Amino acid sequence: MSCTHPIDAAILADYWSSALAGQQEEAVEAHLLGCAACSTLLEQVAALIDGVRQVARSGSLRMVVSEGVLERARREGLTVREYAPPQGGSVQCTVTAADNLLIGRLAVEIHGGQRVDLVYCDPGGAEIGRLPDIPVAPGCGQVILQESITFAKAAPDNVLTARLMAQEDAGGERLIGEYTFNHTRSMPGKAAW
Amino acid sequence: MYPDVEDAELALRIGSGTDREAEAELFRRMAPRIRLYGLRHLREDQAAQDLVQQVMIAVLESLRERRLREAEKLASFVLGTCRMTVLNIRRGDHRRQRLLEQFGPQMLQPVGPANPQPDSEHLERCLRALRERERSVVVMSFYAEQSGAEVAGLLGVSEANVRVIRHRALHQLRACMGVAR
Repeated sequence: MSCTHPIDAAILADYWSSALAGQQEEAVEAHLLGCAACSTLLEQVAALIDGVRQVARSGSLRMVVSEGVLERARREGLTVREYAPPQGGSVQCTVTAADNLLIGRLAVEIHGGQRVDLVYCDPGGAEIGRLPDIPVAPGCGQVILQESITFAKAAPDNVLTARLMAQEDAGGERLIGEYTFNHTRSMPGKAAW
Repeated sequence: MYPDVEDAELALRIGSGTDREAEAELFRRMAPRIRLYGLRHLREDQAAQDLVQQVMIAVLESLRERRLREAEKLASFVLGTCRMTVLNIRRGDHRRQRLLEQFGPQMLQPVGPANPQPDSEHLERCLRALRERERSVVVMSFYAEQSGAEVAGLLGVSEANVRVIRHRALHQLRACMGVAR
């Protein structure tokens, strides 16, 4: 089972997620119906995409998401818990067993083309984690941050500060937003640490 | 069994008489491909299975009656039949039952499951290993099903750039999962 003109897996992923233009989609479909090797590859790609969806639904990734991701989650019946601490301020927060996604809305003004890192700090201000070069667009007004629900459900009472740091061309970084989350554990049982 | 016979040759054999083995081999080859087409366009496994049955019945019927003039164009013919059948399914066409009675259900067994789901924990580690932009683009594209233009607007980059990020991430995920060829 071989193919003399195999379709790239990324193109098949585009096909599977309806991201190809009409003519290109038709060409891919015509090839697939006559090619066992590429059909098998498409099955692998489709399974991978389905797996990505399952991980996304699990809410276990700490990452920047979009309104579209939250809308999709709600359409699927997932429970989204959101907090929006004021810039420079704090918010009391928790997570329950019924929650599926945990979201922090970080209000911030982003100006053209700057790289922004998200830095996590302990109550003493020491950096304990960093998401480098997060995806943000100028004028977006906020960063929608998904915290790992798995981490949050296992957490004890704790205080976590998130800082948005603009990276300067000349080196160094500049604080453009700071948000403190005062987490109170409300899950049954003991915390994981 | 005709494991080494070209699709076109199978089509000719089906048209030359009642060659049930050739029909079974064509079904074995085409059914998974038609099912994928169905999953892509109908987004539902049962609907995709129904599509397989309807398309294969129509294709076998045509081959038996020698209505396909150029056997080399079998794949195009199957694709055309897929497209027409999806349109009919969307219009609520109920031809299936009559045709099932004509051809019998024994040949038209449901296609087996596709590739097994990847290990979720392993995939999660692979997603964590992506860069922040790549992970967000993957989730926005594949979970939220946001278009390239939408994602580009959210990231402040071009649509072409989003495509590059998505492709790179897909290849990295496949390599991390050990399925890249």
